[in-house]
Amino acid sequence: MSGRTLGILRLASIALAVFAATSQISCSDSTDTQESPQEFEVDGQTVVKASAEARAARRAFDGAPPVIPHTPQGSDCTRCHDHDGMEIPGMGFAPPLPHGQTAGMSEFANCRQCHVFRSTDEVFQDSEFVGLAQDFRQGDRHFDGAPPVMPHSAFMRENCQACHTGPSAREQIRCSHPERINCTQCHVEDTSDSTFVRPGT
Amino acid sequence: MATVDRREFLKSLGLVGAGTVLTSGDAEASATATADNLTWDKAPCRYCGTGCGVEVGVADGKVQAVRGDEKSPVNRGLLCVKGYHLPGMLYGTDRLLYPLKRKADGSGFERISWDEALDLVASKYQEALDEHGPEAVGIYGSGQWTVFDGYAALKWIKGGMRSNNIDPNARLCMASAVMGFVTQFQSDEPMGCYDDFEAGDDFILWGNNMAEMHPVLFSRMLEAKRQRPTVRIIDLAVRRTPTSEYADLYVEFKPGTDLALANGILHLLVKNNKVRRSFIEENVVFRRGIEDVETIGYGCFGDQSERYTFKDAAKESSFEEFAKFLEAYTPAKVSEITGVPESQIKALAEIYGDSGRGTVSLWCMGVNQHTRGTWMNNLLNNLHLVTGKISRPGANPFSLTGQPSACGTAREVGTLSNRLPADMVVMKEEHRAKTEKIWGLPEGTIPPKPGYHAVDMFRAFTRGDLKALWVQVTNPWVTMPNLQRFQRKPGDGRFLVVSDIYPTPTTDVADLILPSAAWVEREGVFGNTERRTQQWNKMVEPPGEAREDAWQIMEVAKRMGMGKLFPWPENDWHEAMYEEYRSFTVGVGKDVASYAQLKQVPGLRWPVVDGRETRYRYAAGEDPYVTKPSGVHFYKAKGYGEKAAVWLRPYHPPAEVPDDEYPLWLTTGRVLEHWHTGSMTRRVKQLHQAVPEAYVEINRADATKLGVQRGERVRVVSRRGSVELPVRIDDRGRPPQGMVFVPFFDENRLVNVLTLDALDNISKEPDYKKCAVRVERLEASP
Repeated sequence: MSGRTLGILRLASIALAVFAATSQISCSDSTDTQESPQEFEVDGQTVVKASAEARAARRAFDGAPPVIPHTPQGSDCTRCHDHDGMEIPGMGFAPPLPHGQTAGMSEFANCRQCHVFRSTDEVFQDSEFVGLAQDFRQGDRHFDGAPPVMPHSAFMRENCQACHTGPSAREQIRCSHPERINCTQCHVEDTSDSTFVRPGT
Repeated sequence: MATVDRREFLKSLGLVGAGTVLTSGDAEASATATADNLTWDKAPCRYCGTGCGVEVGVADGKVQAVRGDEKSPVNRGLLCVKGYHLPGMLYGTDRLLYPLKRKADGSGFERISWDEALDLVASKYQEALDEHGPEAVGIYGSGQWTVFDGYAALKWIKGGMRSNNIDPNARLCMASAVMGFVTQFQSDEPMGCYDDFEAGDDFILWGNNMAEMHPVLFSRMLEAKRQRPTVRIIDLAVRRTPTSEYADLYVEFKPGTDLALANGILHLLVKNNKVRRSFIEENVVFRRGIEDVETIGYGCFGDQSERYTFKDAAKESSFEEFAKFLEAYTPAKVSEITGVPESQIKALAEIYGDSGRGTVSLWCMGVNQHTRGTWMNNLLNNLHLVTGKISRPGANPFSLTGQPSACGTAREVGTLSNRLPADMVVMKEEHRAKTEKIWGLPEGTIPPKPGYHAVDMFRAFTRGDLKALWVQVTNPWVTMPNLQRFQRKPGDGRFLVVSDIYPTPTTDVADLILPSAAWVEREGVFGNTERRTQQWNKMVEPPGEAREDAWQIMEVAKRMGMGKLFPWPENDWHEAMYEEYRSFTVGVGKDVASYAQLKQVPGLRWPVVDGRETRYRYAAGEDPYVTKPSGVHFYKAKGYGEKAAVWLRPYHPPAEVPDDEYPLWLTTGRVLEHWHTGSMTRRVKQLHQAVPEAYVEINRADATKLGVQRGERVRVVSRRGSVELPVRIDDRGRPPQGMVFVPFFDENRLVNVLTLDALDNISKEPDYKKCAVRVERLEASP
């Protein structure tokens, strides 16, 4: 099930997938908002809204699993969305799998348990649902120059590279030092709002 | 126990605005919420019986996000796509907001007040009672009823109106599993639990597409397989599904022949001496019931098509008779019936017979929605009883449920026509007496004769024998089998009241529609598949004038002079009602956790004694009711000398099989993205857009023969009706030649106009999985 089989098979399947996909590219791009980047300020920093909007457009709310923005390319998602991601000629960069220490395995093998295709733009009934908005804040730093803490939970995002390095990393969160692969050595998860209190004080 | 959100916490310390902890201007600058100013609280998922823990994020009085609860031992933070999109389910623009009464000229509905609506329900029920007696009133509920709703309904109808006409849609869903456990262990619900997914070695799925129907549990199983590569998944099915893609062995059998397959495995276990004789001698008795196919029938032909009341009769049997009975099920014979190669039958017998490996059998609708579904449950439990692979970590028969509280409400509260809380039944005098005592009612209040089971209830309503019917939290005008025969035109002299959150085909035919509060718009308790009771708090206000179902029932009861059944203060009754219900369960091995404890934890598995939950029922060292030092004790089965019963159950063919006129099998089911009739999931954009309409899966060879293409619309026709559907070939499910599959979520393409109302002989559960159809092209061949 891993998809990490023979390289030849993998290349062949990609070639087929690309062939099948070329007619669909314009359609699959429609979910990406390609307007001119809107800049605005959060915490005194400039954020490119367009890239965040593209991310948000695929999610019901910040934290929901994204819908799949392309047409079905075959059954094994992790052939392309492996630990490092992959450039697919004619389609773009398939971002790496963010889940788990071992790409394509673990609890996340059944990708379509959470990620679904979109086969229509119609709705059954309109909805008033307003989802949690994309969180633009960056992680706290102890002082200027100190490594920021993670501003989000690392659960299901154990592969930091998936979003913070490579072609799919949004500019605002792209890591300047991807060669240092042990990210959690310096960047810790912000798991609690409490402060240390000595027992009995 | 709402967790204090970060902003509130900081406010309490006077830190907001100081800029030292929060980065400045973050949340307040934004019109919409961010993760830190949501209030998070726990709830079980609203959909299937897995009972995943979710954390619900609320801001501005609305649910804006959910996340998997990492503290929940069920799902450990993971959800499926339906669970991740729960919030959207609440906010469709067509939510029912006010009571709606059908206009006198029948031309639609008009808004009325709650007082008028409740008075109307009370007067219609009183009228039916006065003129026609308790058998003329009924309530049809749901495995999505919270414990409160189900308990209120049960008490009102059995204790107040002295009628047993209460049944849940769970009758269409897991009644066969109930009767399997009851006939063998004299107590409902599984002995095993989800811990089996980490402890088991071989997982045998009987007609069970877990990858789509119980995806989070399926992922737990895949993770176990990743960690221990010796774990095997065996998929026994009538059609290839996404589950099959992950299986080590795929075994395809002909529809309905699972009875022969299970008997074939039992035959080999006995013949090859792979049964555990010492375990059998200590813990097992043998029973045999009525086996004549003519006597039993199928519940849908002749007189049985109006009322089906077949009752099995047990006689004692023995291991010797069991062995003799199984002689007929040789691999050659079973292979001929099932279409399964002999080698695969032998492989299955080796898996069940391997005493060194833990075996878990898993099943759901394939086994339960079956004209001999109780028998099939019996045979699966038999496989575990004769091998002693039961009540041990990683070795159990385990039935999965499809609704969030099919176990907690329908089965445990006992909202079935024949049942009372905690495994009791109306047929037994001491059970009625105990119930009357707890309810403070005079002896003899509850009638001893069971009421209508679900399908008979709708047959009776259509005939006119049932005059007043209340439907809550379910959608029978989509889900009844042979739906054509239940067509209704209001103004027929009967009264139908429907409580729901959205308009459905069922509200379309109602005389009165009541708007209900959904999920976290009210306080609730669900019980999941592994005996886990889970509580949640009200987190947001329901829209408009929507109110919770239990409140609706209690208000009607008060108007009928039955208010003393619900003696609690109007604004503070949940805990008191729950604790009254709990008193039925304490001391009988069904002990649910206290309300106070449930508020603190992500659920507990009953029996809960001294605050401690039970993983494995009947097991020494696990179940507090077992006093022996080791092994198992089936202490609930008083009628069998506290042993479990192995039943001898033969193979019977299905009620309707393909022929020249209708040459294809039709089987129906769900898809991952939609839950039940889609009344909730279709209002979620992402789910609807993933699977916007029902379709028919056709085998490529059949499609070629018919000359139909993928995407083409065809007409699927049975003896009962027809429906037009787009064709899918080699898609996510792949039926074998001679079979088609249609999901049932789509109210615009009602597959149940095709299905047959054939019923299980013991559980009276319909068989939605087997009937005969043909496929017709709509357009001429090019």
